[in-house]
Amino acid sequence: MKVAVKIWRANADTGDRALREYEVDAPEWVTLLDVLDIIKDRHDGTLAFRKSCRMMICGSCGMRMDGAAVLACKTRMYDIAQSGHVPVVSAMGNLPILKDLVVDMGPFWSKFRAVNPHLQPGYEEPPGGREFRISQERMNVIHKEALCINCGCCVSECNAMESDPDFLGPQALAKAMRFVGDPRDAGKVDRLELVNGKNGVWQCTRCYFCNERCPKGVDPRDAIAKLGAESINEGVDRDMGAKHAKWFVRSAMTTGWLRETELVPKTQGIVESIRQARFAIKLARVGKVPSPFPPHVAKDVKEARRLHELVEQQDRHGYAGIVQGEAALAKLAHGHHEGERDPYGPGSFPRPWLPGENGKARS
Amino acid sequence: MKKVAYYKGCLAALSAKELDSSTKALAPKVGLELEELESVTCCGAGDIHEAEPDFYLHLNARILSYASATGADTLLTVCNVCTLNLRQANWQLIGDAELRARVNVNLESVGVPAYERDVDVRHLLWELAEAEGYERLKLAAHKGLKGLKIAPFYGCQILRPSRVLGFEDPDRPSSLERIIEACGGEAVDYPAKLKCCGFPIIQAREETALGELVQPIEQAVDAGADAMVTPCPLCHLSLDAWQTKLKAVTGRDFRMPILHLSQLIGVAAGLPESELKFRRHVISVKPVLERLDA
Repeated sequence: MKVAVKIWRANADTGDRALREYEVDAPEWVTLLDVLDIIKDRHDGTLAFRKSCRMMICGSCGMRMDGAAVLACKTRMYDIAQSGHVPVVSAMGNLPILKDLVVDMGPFWSKFRAVNPHLQPGYEEPPGGREFRISQERMNVIHKEALCINCGCCVSECNAMESDPDFLGPQALAKAMRFVGDPRDAGKVDRLELVNGKNGVWQCTRCYFCNERCPKGVDPRDAIAKLGAESINEGVDRDMGAKHAKWFVRSAMTTGWLRETELVPKTQGIVESIRQARFAIKLARVGKVPSPFPPHVAKDVKEARRLHELVEQQDRHGYAGIVQGEAALAKLAHGHHEGERDPYGPGSFPRPWLPGENGKARS
Repeated sequence: MKKVAYYKGCLAALSAKELDSSTKALAPKVGLELEELESVTCCGAGDIHEAEPDFYLHLNARILSYASATGADTLLTVCNVCTLNLRQANWQLIGDAELRARVNVNLESVGVPAYERDVDVRHLLWELAEAEGYERLKLAAHKGLKGLKIAPFYGCQILRPSRVLGFEDPDRPSSLERIIEACGGEAVDYPAKLKCCGFPIIQAREETALGELVQPIEQAVDAGADAMVTPCPLCHLSLDAWQTKLKAVTGRDFRMPILHLSQLIGVAAGLPESELKFRRHVISVKPVLERLDA
């Protein structure tokens, strides 16, 4: 079959960028990576991209197709070619482009290293030199995080990192959770302190792009929530983000609804709240600062309070509260339920955002 | 009329009362009979999920249980964050009989009925973007929008994670565009319409949040939009209220009016200001309304 793709060629040394179209003859089973191989072999040997295993395990061929990060070796081309759509292939976002589809993974690896991605031994040795046995239930806690292949697809799409490149980001934080949840690791509290820094857990903006794009089902956003819950459970809760989250718990127990007006001083402290006074007055003028008195109390809120007392006595604290729901969520197939709608057909909007293209060059 | 259990959530009850009043005024015109849930609390907004996730699950199970008790099949939300939190908890309970049994024992021991009959959590956007809701919407929006250019802003948690939400293709959604056009407006396309508004971290990491917020507003302005519309009151709050902070950061005074979904349809359906409550917005909607009245 004929397969056509457009590729954003780029050269960091010269600053040149150009969108080039290629059409190749290819077998029906080809993946995007196969198509790139054919282009490089038979059409244009100057095309640069990374690859190694060709089977979704080495994590080398992360790139974007129509603006969404994918593993090239996991992306089948048959349906796309048949639909007549010509996808645009480009380098991943949030990382500097070196050439064509190759990005500099340096910033990625420095964040990866920053979370000490290795086991900190210190656990009690089993007697008699026996192996350290871990139940399946305990390993299930980090099952998803351990699937990560460091491809960078999540980092490519991270909205918080796009705004602040120093954010540790979904991959490094998911990796941190992989060790926080490991029963053999002795460094849990130190790790939680580390991910509670300025660029840690509480800088995640919950855009869920990482969960959406991860080709391995790691669900980094859920890993970040697990770190948050475990931090609060362990009393590592000085960050404004942790205080913000705790205020929601307090609100739900006392009035049932969020106590919005008190949220700012509870999160940011009194001094910062006063600094924000001018902004608050602007909001108050149009009724956006509801009076905390009399409090807006939900009917039967004592039920919520008693539920809180009850779950506190049960053993699903910290990340365990998230892990318990994972088996059920795993039953939901990835993707949506409207199979008939053609994502490339008429009436559909082109995938809009290609970082590095100033939001203008779209196909 | 389709009876639905209406869960308005915190913002529509407090700082975004205009969302609640416009939704209630619009509902009968688009064939929805709202039975408002009384004995419910906050869904946790993702924060309780990140602080005490087991409590999050129970709070949401309690909301689902009271929705089920109304006899309606649908729990209607008007907020992206409520939609994700409730749908996620719902899937966890539906997909795991053991977990559901444990939660139900806890619910019953505090006097809440067990969550037995499943309900489907659906956002107002989804009710109106297809099937009968969409047909009724087209009839209701008789006044039109005179071709106003409207920039749709989806917000994250109505699209992603798609396996929990699953209404439409998260990368090529079209529900808001369909509604804008059915109301007689012109949908403006711009890259950041699928991205994050920054709201979840607007207090804890304001600078990072503003760096996200500026993108959709700047792009909507540059694309020539007269107003933006969003199905999420949290996006609305950051786009509307925090927009005033962007002037200091960017030097540009955008003055982009931001409408709730129910307000946009409400305008096209000719609902009065007493229900739409545009006076509660930080950025004035007047320029848009004047163009419609001209």
